[in-house]
Amino acid sequence: MFSEDTILLFYEITDVIIAGLSTGSVYALMAVGMTLVYGVTKAFNFAYGDFFNMGGYFAWILIVGLGLEFGGYPVVLLIVMPLLFAVGYGLEKLLVAPLRKRKDWENKVMMMTLGLALFLTSLYMVVFGVRMKSLPPILEGTWEVGQLVFSYQDIMIFVMSISGILIFAWVLNNTRIGMAVRAVAQNPVGATIVGIPKERIFATTFAISTVMVGFGGILLSQKWFINPNSGGIIMVKAWVVTALGGMGSIRGGLYAAFIIGMLEAFVGWMFGMSYGIIALFVLLLATLVLRPQGLRGKGE
Amino acid sequence: MLNVNNLNAYYGEAQVLHNVSVSVGRGQVVVMLGPNGHGKSTLLKAICGLAESVAGEISYQGQPIDHLSTDKLVNMGVAYIAENRELFPYMTVQENLKLGAYVKAARPHEKKNMAKVFSLFPRLKERRTQLASTMSGGEAKMLAVARGLMSNADFLCIDEPSLGLQPSLRLELFSTIKEINKQGKTIFLVEQNIPHIAELADKIYVMEEGCISFEGNSKEALGDKHLKEIFLGM
Repeated sequence: MFSEDTILLFYEITDVIIAGLSTGSVYALMAVGMTLVYGVTKAFNFAYGDFFNMGGYFAWILIVGLGLEFGGYPVVLLIVMPLLFAVGYGLEKLLVAPLRKRKDWENKVMMMTLGLALFLTSLYMVVFGVRMKSLPPILEGTWEVGQLVFSYQDIMIFVMSISGILIFAWVLNNTRIGMAVRAVAQNPVGATIVGIPKERIFATTFAISTVMVGFGGILLSQKWFINPNSGGIIMVKAWVVTALGGMGSIRGGLYAAFIIGMLEAFVGWMFGMSYGIIALFVLLLATLVLRPQGLRGKGE
Repeated sequence: MLNVNNLNAYYGEAQVLHNVSVSVGRGQVVVMLGPNGHGKSTLLKAICGLAESVAGEISYQGQPIDHLSTDKLVNMGVAYIAENRELFPYMTVQENLKLGAYVKAARPHEKKNMAKVFSLFPRLKERRTQLASTMSGGEAKMLAVARGLMSNADFLCIDEPSLGLQPSLRLELFSTIKEINKQGKTIFLVEQNIPHIAELADKIYVMEEGCISFEGNSKEALGDKHLKEIFLGM
């Protein structure tokens, strides 16, 4: 019925879609973390992408560096996630919080996080060298349906990042701390009035976003390698997703992440990987010109 | 219950309050009157830890509170109800109220206070699943007062509750405030204008240009020539 070529094309396209879905899901996770920090603290975090690498490196230290043979990724996550939280919390308290008391603090925070990004990139190069590191797949093997082949790794990446987002959304909507975070985002003065310790919420939010992007780093580094210089481009990608989705909208971020994941995968498949990035910027420019508020700006 | 002694407050370079001293006794309703922009709100904010730079003594139940942060004050039982409400726009009425009970001291009483607040403001009960941003000005005002009550505070600082309300709603709100006072809360209230307020107040202060220019009960206030001039134009 179909020619061999058509069937082959069908398989290839399926592969591309799966790749797009798995990277897209991690982009979604990263965008949610970014929109969270921006929504709550109203300051842009330029070091965001370097926390992605931090997650990757922490996992690499445990798995490859120390060569620990234990329960694998579940144990790694159990150790790395609290560590990322602590790093995020500490950095916010140490570097960002003191600036917030000053005049024109938004710009100062931007400069500070930009400095932090450069510092972390250099730190990674000194400690881990410029050569890229790789992480073993979270789950090896494939799942075959007829002639279609799905790698367990892609499936796991998708499942884990979507679970991460769902857990985050649940916490945000159903717990006291989640309510406090939303309260600060919606009205910082109102939050102060009801007795929410705003400073602590800022630090907690920063820490949660560090965990989210670092978790994304652990997931994607299995496919992409860990590169000390990649923080900038990761941050830009998270930002493109956030801008397309609409600043402050979690649902918009989800849509945007999958659109971008797919776009990147298809352009990469058709023209080569480096064109994927170009496509991303074209999309960003088009968004800013045609629909600056994003898919779903404002709210939530 | 609350004592303010020689308080000075600044907004940038400008001094907003000059040696202000005020005292509020337990169970009282004390009203601070005065024209707009003369420092009344700043005084309330200073008491509640929300003003920028303040010098002087503020004590609550004998303890100095002038350097405490707002969350500690709310936990001690001092709540602030803002003139412009400061609600959480994308949350429901019920969520706004729940957040009113955020501090530790309020949590065990959340259910009881929610029931109390709904009986004081039946309209809020009807609208409990509605987003705060979709409420009318009067309802939002009620929600702000109700959220303050959820903190289980004994001492409520209310900043211009009647601002922007039509006269009938204003009366309704004042009678609710009287009711809240009867239930045992001490109230320190700021208003611009004298009508309706006099019968509510146990004590009246007037602030002009950052100084206290009058202190007395409502009878004295209503008989005062100067006050009549500034408030009633007589």
